[in-house]
Amino acid sequence: MRLARARLVAGRELRAERAQPDGLAAALGLVAILVFTESLLVGPAVAAAPGIAAALLWIALALATILAVTRSFDRELEDDALEALLVLPDGRDALYAGKLIAATLLLLVVALGGTALTIYLLDLEVALPFHLLLVTLVGALALPPLVTLYVAVSLRLRARALVVPLLALPALLPQLIAVSAGVTAAIAGDGGASLAWCGLLFAAALASAIAGFTIGPAAIE
Amino acid sequence: MITTYPQAISGPRVLPYLAVASILAGAGALFMALAWSPADANQGDLVRIMYVHVPAAWLAYLSFVVVFLASVAWLWGRWPLADAIAVASAEIGVMFTGLALVLGSIWAKPTWGVWWTWEPRLITTAVMFAMYAGYLILRSLSSDFDRRATRAAVVGAIAVLNVPIVHLSVTWMNALHQLPSVLRPGPPALDGRMLSTLVVCVIALTIFYAYCMVMRVSIERARSPRP
Repeated sequence: MRLARARLVAGRELRAERAQPDGLAAALGLVAILVFTESLLVGPAVAAAPGIAAALLWIALALATILAVTRSFDRELEDDALEALLVLPDGRDALYAGKLIAATLLLLVVALGGTALTIYLLDLEVALPFHLLLVTLVGALALPPLVTLYVAVSLRLRARALVVPLLALPALLPQLIAVSAGVTAAIAGDGGASLAWCGLLFAAALASAIAGFTIGPAAIE
Repeated sequence: MITTYPQAISGPRVLPYLAVASILAGAGALFMALAWSPADANQGDLVRIMYVHVPAAWLAYLSFVVVFLASVAWLWGRWPLADAIAVASAEIGVMFTGLALVLGSIWAKPTWGVWWTWEPRLITTAVMFAMYAGYLILRSLSSDFDRRATRAAVVGAIAVLNVPIVHLSVTWMNALHQLPSVLRPGPPALDGRMLSTLVVCVIALTIFYAYCMVMRVSIERARSPRP
C-alpha cells in the first residue's frame, strides 16, 4: 500500500517533470555551465585531469540534485498539494519515498548526460567505460536520500536556499569522495580501485537511504 | 512566559558541586600537564598541547553522540527536555571541535611546518564542525518550538555519522595525523605518566562539560514555551 502510494507520488512527479522539465533543464544546465567555466578558469589541460574532471562533475551533480529536489518540493507548495498529501494515511512516508524515487531517476539522467558532456567537452579517454557506468549508476543512488531529507527538513524555511547546501554538502562528502575516486579510477583504467570505491559508495547509499526512510518522513511539515 | 536567566541558572542544585569539582579537577589537570608530566623526547614541551587537544576532541565526540541520543528521544517522545539537551550539547560540541581544530593547528605549525594541511583527520573534523554549525544555524531560523526541534532532531540524528568517520579517518586513509594512541586495539601507546595525565585531563574537561550542560539546559528550559 505504502509502496503503491510512493509509486503514485513518483509517477506524478515524473509526469510533471515531463510536462514542464524545469528541474531537469536547470540541473543539466548547471552541470554544463560548471564544466565550461572550469575549463575556462583552469585551462583545458588541467580541467581534463581525471581527478579534477570527476570531482568537479560530481560537485556539480550534487548541486544539481539540490536544485532539482528543491524545485520538486516547490511545485507541491505552489500548487498547495502538500497539505492534501500529508493528510493521507502514510502520506509522509509516501511523499518522501516518491520524491526520492523521482529524484534518483532524474539524477540518473543528469549524471549520464553530464558524464557524456564532460567526456566530450574535455576530450577524456575512458579506459574502463563499464566501470564508469557502474560508478555513475551507484553515485546516482547515493546522493538523493540525504538531499531529499535536508530539503524536507527546511521546507518551510525562508532561508532554505542557504540552509540546504550548508547542511547537505558536508553530509554528502563521503559519497562525493567515493564517487570521484571511483570515476577517476575508471577513467585511468584501475578496475580494482573503481570497484572498491563503488562498493563503499553503495554502502554509503544504503546507510543514507535507511537513515532517510527512518527519519525523513518525520521531517516533512 | 519566559523566565529570567538568573532564576533559571540558580535552579539545578547540582551546579555548585559541579563547579567546585570542575575547578579542583582543572587545577589537578593543569599541575599534571604543566609540571608532573615529562616532556616528549622528540616534541619537547609541545606535547603538552595534547592534554587539551585530545580531551577537546573526545568531548566533541561525546557531545555529538549526546545530540544524537537526545534527537532520537525528541523524535520518539517529543519531550522538551530532549530538545534542550540536544541544543546544549551541540553548542558545547561545536565549541570543543573548534578548540580541537585551533589547538591542532597551533601544534601542527612547529611539527609539520604548516598551520593547515589537506589531511583526512583535519578535513573530516572541519566538516563535522561545519555540519554542527549548520545545525545551530538551522535552529536559529525558526521560532516555532515544535518545528524547530523536529528539524534539528532530524539533522542531529544524521550528523552523528561523522563521529566514526572522523575517528577512523586516520586508519582508513593515508594520514599525516598520528594514529589513535589510546582508543585502539591493544595497549595504549603512551608513557605511563603521560597517559595518567591525559586521563585526568579528560576527566576534568568531562566534568566541565557536565557543568556547561546543566547550566545550558536550565537556560534552554527557562526559554522554552513548553515545560
